[in-house]
Amino acid sequence: MTATGSDGREQGRRWSTGDGVHIDVRGLEPPGPLVAILDLVESLTDATPVIVHHDRDPQLLYPELAERGWTAEYLPAAPGEVRLRLKRG
Amino acid sequence: MSLGGGTFLAGAPSRLLPASIPFRYFGAAVVFHIAAWLALAAGAADAPRFVGGLGWPLAALHLVTLGVLAMTAIGASLQLLPVASRQPVRVVRAAAAIWWLYTPGVAAVAAGMGAAMPRFIGVGAVAVFIALAIYAALLASNLAGARGMPVVIAHGWASLASLVATLATALALAGTYLGVVVIDRGAALALHVAFAAYGFMGLLALGLSYILVPMFALSSAPGTRAGLASLALAVLALLLAGAAAFGLAPVALRVAAVAAGAAAAALHLRLMAVALATGMRRALGLSFVLVRVGWVLLAASLAAALAVALDAPFDGTATLFGVLLVPGWLLTFLLGILQRIVPFLGSLHAGAAGAAVGRKRPPTPSALTAGRPLAIHFGCHVVALALLATAVVADNRWLALAAGTAGAAGAVAFGVFFAVAVRRMGGGARAA
Repeated sequence: MTATGSDGREQGRRWSTGDGVHIDVRGLEPPGPLVAILDLVESLTDATPVIVHHDRDPQLLYPELAERGWTAEYLPAAPGEVRLRLKRG
Repeated sequence: MSLGGGTFLAGAPSRLLPASIPFRYFGAAVVFHIAAWLALAAGAADAPRFVGGLGWPLAALHLVTLGVLAMTAIGASLQLLPVASRQPVRVVRAAAAIWWLYTPGVAAVAAGMGAAMPRFIGVGAVAVFIALAIYAALLASNLAGARGMPVVIAHGWASLASLVATLATALALAGTYLGVVVIDRGAALALHVAFAAYGFMGLLALGLSYILVPMFALSSAPGTRAGLASLALAVLALLLAGAAAFGLAPVALRVAAVAAGAAAAALHLRLMAVALATGMRRALGLSFVLVRVGWVLLAASLAAALAVALDAPFDGTATLFGVLLVPGWLLTFLLGILQRIVPFLGSLHAGAAGAAVGRKRPPTPSALTAGRPLAIHFGCHVVALALLATAVVADNRWLALAAGTAGAAGAVAFGVFFAVAVRRMGGGARAA
């Protein structure tokens, strides 16, 4: 189930572990995943990495991340999932 | 595997075409954009009362519709529809090859129209017809396997059906210049205008807006039911206009078509307004001022269409309708979106190419955007539209000449913006 913010935007499912803040945007209709990920990225004030769980390579996300000074790298994932680690700087 | 430092996009299955494919269409559109305003200036004497017939106003019209609007639509849809449909373009070579057939075809059609040489029109029309038929097949194959984004996909199918009607009526009209009459010219012209402008290009613009506007505003996808309702009303409007073109209660059906079209536009614009109002990004710059001007002129074009349907007692009504519809709504909207798409896709492709050459960071969209040429273009484009509309109302050739001159200056400025973006992308991205 995905959460919805007070502004009505779908936020995806979020949780925190030792390696960063996770966000699962699988099943969201585009551009929902893009918006949910950027919403989370912009809410972080420290260097906490973001782990994205996606059902496709979010190609339209990368220019937006670059604009914000963030980078991305692929992580190993199960078939059918694209997992990314996003880092500031 | 790093995406931002060295391997920006490498390693994942890509639905993106090589940069050279969309950018060759965008580049040709930039050149035809300049040519279109120059053709208007060349035909300024006839432009204020233009309602068809060979000459430079007809060439200017088709340089915009075929050369800028359809050219950009092909490049943008081949790049963006796979994102919505989750299907890659299956025949990448065909996507590239269409350009080589379509671009000289458009040039020949426009030159033939301007210089009143029907043989040129015939040869060019065949090339354009074949190119668009191949594009239609590519579009159909992509839409057929689509998963998700039903509003965008449904608009794609309706646009595709309109493209078929546009091609059929274009051939009928081209035939009349060569002495071959298939259907009544007036009916063919009415069908061609409705299905090319509001159907093929209009529905593609509305459909891609459901991806692009929320993407640039960073808002949620608009409601599916409302989007499909808007499309259903738009299709109803086209069918009513089509029936009217064949002489079935033409006034009543045209008025009904305008009413359905207005309802479709109102619903669509409401969804877009919500997307812009709820988005994370509020400052969208001059690009979305142009988009908003385009939306206002979409509504104005429907008001002018009503005046045409009711046979308003003013000689320039039909011409004013065309001005509001083509350079007004469609061209203004497209130029607003294109100045966002070019740096965005440029950054995306430069990232992929940068990976191949080991570059640390790709250029950001804002780093690829030259602001001053866009500001010059904005001013020139708005002035050109105002001058052209005034030229029609006042039946004044000198105002039409001034419109063509201002529009050409703005188009050159837009070309500078495009050239700067391509240069800043880097050679690797251009060749990719």
